Amino acid sequence: MNAVERLARLFDNPLIVKDGVSRMRSWRAPVILTVYLALLGAFGYTVFVLAAISSPSQRTGSAMIGATVFEALALMQVSLVALFAPALTAGAISGERERQTFDVLLVSRMTAVEIVWGKLVASVAFMLLLILAALPLFAAVFLFGGIDFEQFVITQLLTVTTAVSIGAVSLFLSAAFRRTLASTVVGYGVAFAGMVGTLVAGALFTLALVVHSSTDLAISTSDVHPLLFANPFYSMFVALNDPNGAAMHLGRLVQLLFFVSSPRNDLGPGLEPWQATVLVQLVLVALSVFGAVQLVQNRRAPMPLRAPEPLEVAGVPVETGGGGL
Amino acid sequence: MIEVEALHKRFGGQVALDEVHFSVPRGEIFGFVGPNGAGKTTTIRILATLTAPDAGTATIGGVPVADDPYGVRELIGYMPDFFGVYDRLTALEYLEFYAACHAVPHRRRRSVALELLELVDLGERINDQVDTLSRGMKQRLCLARALVHDPLVLLLDEPASGLDPRARIEMRELIRELRRMGKTILVSSHILPELEELCTWVGFIDRGRMVAAGPMSDVRNRVLAGRRLRVELVDADDVKLYAARDQVADRAGVIEAELVEGCLEIAVEDDFADQDLLLDLVQAGVAVRSFAPVTGDLAEAFMRLTAPAPEEKAEEAGE
Repeated sequence: MNAVERLARLFDNPLIVKDGVSRMRSWRAPVILTVYLALLGAFGYTVFVLAAISSPSQRTGSAMIGATVFEALALMQVSLVALFAPALTAGAISGERERQTFDVLLVSRMTAVEIVWGKLVASVAFMLLLILAALPLFAAVFLFGGIDFEQFVITQLLTVTTAVSIGAVSLFLSAAFRRTLASTVVGYGVAFAGMVGTLVAGALFTLALVVHSSTDLAISTSDVHPLLFANPFYSMFVALNDPNGAAMHLGRLVQLLFFVSSPRNDLGPGLEPWQATVLVQLVLVALSVFGAVQLVQNRRAPMPLRAPEPLEVAGVPVETGGGGL
Repeated sequence: MIEVEALHKRFGGQVALDEVHFSVPRGEIFGFVGPNGAGKTTTIRILATLTAPDAGTATIGGVPVADDPYGVRELIGYMPDFFGVYDRLTALEYLEFYAACHAVPHRRRRSVALELLELVDLGERINDQVDTLSRGMKQRLCLARALVHDPLVLLLDEPASGLDPRARIEMRELIRELRRMGKTILVSSHILPELEELCTWVGFIDRGRMVAAGPMSDVRNRVLAGRRLRVELVDADDVKLYAARDQVADRAGVIEAELVEGCLEIAVEDDFADQDLLLDLVQAGVAVRSFAPVTGDLAEAFMRLTAPAPEEKAEEAGE
């Protein structure tokens, strides 16, 4: 089996087709797509007008306008993706339970991994469609200049990994909670914590580091709290504004995560914020998928790991006729 | 084909199954009878690999349910007592989806789905969205779904619940047809007359315990002496009824004759010649309006088997 066949087999999952068909036939799909593009377009146009008005000259202004609009669009896009992701994913498995179709799925030959994988891909595919549909907007802004191709790729990569990671966490919550409402609410809580919580907390901790840097020589002014490194907004902002000057060593990041400032640990590779964010998000995806698979697996009759305890009825042990399972 | 031995299951402090055991030979329709909460669904879920028993063994086609659930899933078609359908999928797409879930090869999925839709009489509705089908049609579609991988055994949990009489009859005929196709079928229900007409084997479960299981006639005979015949007379009054009863009471093969709701009910041995009795009555000048076997033996057997013991009755009365 060659690589193409393997890849095709990976995506030959009935849940991907079924959920995709079912989602695209609903009125919600075009509405979400339209609202998403309308919001993004309107926001981009507003920023463009404001930037054009405040531009000093037409020549240098073109690149500045391009960079400003691109940055605003990229940050807006990742915000919208974070807003849509829990709603699109948090009902993936709990919805099957509510629809009373989950047991039948479990009795089929699909493994727990296939079920979770199918659900994840089906949910994330729609978010990728949103991101893909917005590409012409970015391409138009790209023509103004001010943004190089690498920055463009990094912003799109961060948007995709943010969508996939929030989707994966919401999928795990969907497997953990019986009700879609509960998984959606908690999913939004987690997304908010990841997008805003890490930004605020990271900024405050970084401020504290700056304050301490005057007394603690081990702390440099370039030290940033790792929570900021895990934040897509910060990473995107740095990638677009300070592409070469914000890398920190992995050892230092781990050290600062536990509020240890000295002696400096500069072990491990130097990571730029976007690399750290992508890394953290991939770890989150792996943990969430693993957790969701375990939850789905346990929903089936689990393999007993030990002999059952003797059954007692009214305090009297009952002899079982058959062998224990 | 299905072997269940000493199954135990507790939910919290509640004993759901207590030493449940029965077997179903290949090609039989096994009626799993019991009131709500008796343990039918728990047993079926264990057989469907969805619930692990606390103790005991269950095998399907010789494959242990607990040790090889994937093997068992290839052998069984499961239809739960509740059923869900996906929105915005046609009946054909719905079956193709489940065919894919059961790893039916790509090239065969369409033909399998079409054949099954014909089998369950939904051939005209292949392009209808499943959420627009009637309840009876959805039930039949769910039965078709349980058949997509051509399983040897069908586990049907209350397949006729909530259906109107016509849909129930259609479902019954469908199950008979599946038996003719060689399937072994376990069907649970608390609608006894239906099971009586449909099933060849029967098992009674009450409060988590099997009270009887085996071939239908064996179970019935174990509990009820002989068959019952009902004779209705023209212009029946007590005099005519008592006279008719006296006419048949001492006849060989008659176990018991009694008056029930203005009719004469006669319990006879299994090999009794009904037509001779009718001939005797007519020749004796008894004006017979109808002469028919009494259905509902299964219900009677079930009531007797699950009746509270005298001491339990006394306890209840004491409370």
